[in-house]
Amino acid sequence: MTKEELKDKVYKAIEEKIKKGGKSKLNIKDIQRELPDINPRELKNLCNELVREGRLEYFSSGSTVMYGIPGMGIGVETAFKREEEE
Amino acid sequence: MSEIKKHDTPMVDELKKGPWPSFVDDIYTYAEKHKKQACFDIMGLLELSYIHKETHWKHGGIVGVFGYGGGVIGRYCDQQEKFPAIWAFHTLRVHQTGAKWYHTSALRKLCDMWDHRGSGIVNFHGSTGDIILLGTVTEQLEPIFFDLTHQLNWDLGGSGSNMRTPACCMGYSLCEWCLYDVQEMDYELSMAFQDELHRPAFPYKFKLKFSGCPLDCVAAVARADLSFIGIWRDNIRIDQEAVRAYVNGELPPNSGAFSDRDWGPFDIKKEVIDFCPTQCMYWDEKEQKLYINDQECNKCMHCIAVMPEALKPGTDTGVCILIGSKSVILEGAQLSTVLVPFIKTEPPYDEIKELVYKIWDHWMEVGKMRERVGELIQRIGLNRYLIDVLGIEPIPQHILMPRVDPYIFWREEEVPGGWTRDIVEFRKRHPA
Amino acid sequence: MGLEKLKELDPIYQKPYDPTLAEKLYNPERPMENRITDIGPPYFWQFMPPIVQKNFGKWKSHVIIQPGVIKRVSETGDTIYVVRCGTPRLETTDYIREICEIADKYCDGYVRWTTRNNVEFVVDSEEKLRGLLEDLKNRKHPNGSYKFPIGGTGAGVSNIVHTQGWIHCHTPAIDASGIVKALMDELFEYFGSHKLPAKTKLALACCLNMCGAVHCSDIAIVGIHRKPPFVEDERLEHVCEIPLAIASCPLGAIRPATVEIDGKKKKTVRVNVERCMFCGNCYTMCPAMPLADGEGDCITIVVGGKVSNRITPPAFSRVVLSGIPNEPPRWPTTVKWVKHILEVYSKYAKKYERIGTWIKRIGWERFFELADIPFTEKTIDDYRLAYVSYRTTTQFKFTKHVKTKLEEYYIKK
Repeated sequence: MTKEELKDKVYKAIEEKIKKGGKSKLNIKDIQRELPDINPRELKNLCNELVREGRLEYFSSGSTVMYGIPGMGIGVETAFKREEEE
Repeated sequence: MSEIKKHDTPMVDELKKGPWPSFVDDIYTYAEKHKKQACFDIMGLLELSYIHKETHWKHGGIVGVFGYGGGVIGRYCDQQEKFPAIWAFHTLRVHQTGAKWYHTSALRKLCDMWDHRGSGIVNFHGSTGDIILLGTVTEQLEPIFFDLTHQLNWDLGGSGSNMRTPACCMGYSLCEWCLYDVQEMDYELSMAFQDELHRPAFPYKFKLKFSGCPLDCVAAVARADLSFIGIWRDNIRIDQEAVRAYVNGELPPNSGAFSDRDWGPFDIKKEVIDFCPTQCMYWDEKEQKLYINDQECNKCMHCIAVMPEALKPGTDTGVCILIGSKSVILEGAQLSTVLVPFIKTEPPYDEIKELVYKIWDHWMEVGKMRERVGELIQRIGLNRYLIDVLGIEPIPQHILMPRVDPYIFWREEEVPGGWTRDIVEFRKRHPA
Repeated sequence: MGLEKLKELDPIYQKPYDPTLAEKLYNPERPMENRITDIGPPYFWQFMPPIVQKNFGKWKSHVIIQPGVIKRVSETGDTIYVVRCGTPRLETTDYIREICEIADKYCDGYVRWTTRNNVEFVVDSEEKLRGLLEDLKNRKHPNGSYKFPIGGTGAGVSNIVHTQGWIHCHTPAIDASGIVKALMDELFEYFGSHKLPAKTKLALACCLNMCGAVHCSDIAIVGIHRKPPFVEDERLEHVCEIPLAIASCPLGAIRPATVEIDGKKKKTVRVNVERCMFCGNCYTMCPAMPLADGEGDCITIVVGGKVSNRITPPAFSRVVLSGIPNEPPRWPTTVKWVKHILEVYSKYAKKYERIGTWIKRIGWERFFELADIPFTEKTIDDYRLAYVSYRTTTQFKFTKHVKTKLEEYYIKK
């Protein structure tokens, strides 16, 4: 599989998991469970490259960092803006 | 700029009193001079916290600048109406230099940048070691990063489930007890692991700390997942004449650290020999000579610290690598445990980098979310970790004492004949 | 990746800061354009004064000629004087600029900080030293506090390592900078003198997450929440992702739930309060689960930890007092207790004994008696590895806690 194909595979796995899982942010272990065939270090590199391309985004859980898809679920700032709009 | 709004802060103002440097006076002086609403607002907010005895901050999802998964902590205030200037008040972690040395030209430029783009409030330094820039709005994060990288040749530190910013003691730069170049190792490993420092990689945080000697001024043994502590293996160097000078009261014990109290005349027996944890020292009163049985010395450094002009660590120096310390969350506090008691190592420390990757690869594979390496080792057992994960031969230095229980999980290949047995043969010996 | 390891000061710092440059370089539409990444910190060598560069790794010995002033001698024959000053850690760029002004005047522009938030000025002559000390003593804030108190060396109290508290954190039970200020005001004489039995390191963490590693300090203050988080059923599903809130709990004490409000079904969560350790991680992920409680939050004091291997191995601090009220703006009860423990230690310990080593020698029962700290069940461990802290020997001391009749041991109703 080429790197691009691998990245697509990772992205699709994340997208599917988010769509069915009810939470829009995944931690690295969640993603690993979806893709047990990819070595964890390679997987984190693929995820981080997807972030650089703007297809994924990071989200802080305080002590750890999660991965999300821009526009899906709580945005990095929308949670706060949404509150005031209510 | 609209008019500056000041707040009454009678309780916070109480902290202007007293001799210790008052951060309140500092922030108010700065606020007046620079007409910074954010500084007035943060004092107002602190006053509100002093009244309510509760924090008014919320956490935000922001983790970094574009492409970085660390270095920025998102903060929002729950008092937007009252303190609009600090509604968004994010922190940036800026990677401190080795042993925290700076030139004023760099610091001034950093200050100019922060006046322009942030609150002007800083921490020198945060607990992990970074310079903390305290308080800016989301729109300024990218420009700050561009300023740092383009105008200051400076990068952000780590946060979240990244490798955290490494830190070291003062090292060779100021200390005669330093036993390896902590600053160089700190820099080398920081640079080798830039990706892990800036982008999430792990189930939780991972910290590296470097102390030059067993006195461990940077608290590596208590707060680093990998602690590097300098140590020597040959003999303590003795200058007998200087020892006699201490005994005769010509030199202040412990470099003068006890100067403001009358502890009586220096007594080498009471103050050095009796405190030696291995009792490997002997002071011959007649000969006026100090003997050390260096083979039995456990390098606690007490005698060296008491008589620094007379005793010095040996010259065959290296590094002790310990693993797994952490604070109480979650399974309780842990100190680092010895992994490699002693190695000689030189820049670029490739064998250490390799070891770190070995530790990381395993942790990334089997670590649970929010499980630190020290907790992982507890879960699988130090023996399994040493042998199966790292392939390290177990030695007595790995433990304080052997196990109490004999419940050893023998593996089949270790038992003569294996576990497959013939019941027919057994019953020939033992009729049912 | 990585810049050259500069041995000389990077000329970039001579160029003035350009406040307009970033906006020219950063293009939000194409965020990778002009982006420099992974360059790390400036190489430390360029920031060390020439005399330190010259004597790097060649220092021979040191002597503290007065509290806060360390004379260091090199095998090359060079001598330097290091002046250590306390800082509040929380400060402004103008305070940093004042440090720069001092460093420019006496130290050719070089300065460093210690792990414990002290700033160090290095001078190469006694004459410069005298000028510097005089100058530092006279620098005061408008209301009279010293800007740069000299001390933090030897057998005294060094600066307090601490966290953010109410100035910037979302889960603190207590403030940090305010308590540190109140405490250091009270312990000021110990910062600038060498009259304790050994070095004493203090620390403060504003909640049990302990960003400041206080668990190995001689005396440390920890802020403690004592009430489980609120659950705002009405708001929760609008501001939080429930699975994320559930996943945030390190003890798995949060489960999903559904409630009916005004005939409408709302998704929310429930907290198993018996398992809650009050860490605030759920609040981090879910603003509808606030934790702070001005009435319930309190302070705990731990003592006897250390990290140095000197004489005895590194050790954890132990809880001796809990439930101390949280009292802004000057925390009199906490300050009183810390000072009291420090002074009892100072009175009874031998020279070179850290607080933990002293207590180990005299026994904890004697410590509680000497310090007159009421012993309560809260100091008996019931978390992981609690057993190793129970007494399994008849080696104990007959302090006031020991009685003669069985009935005297029963809790009085």
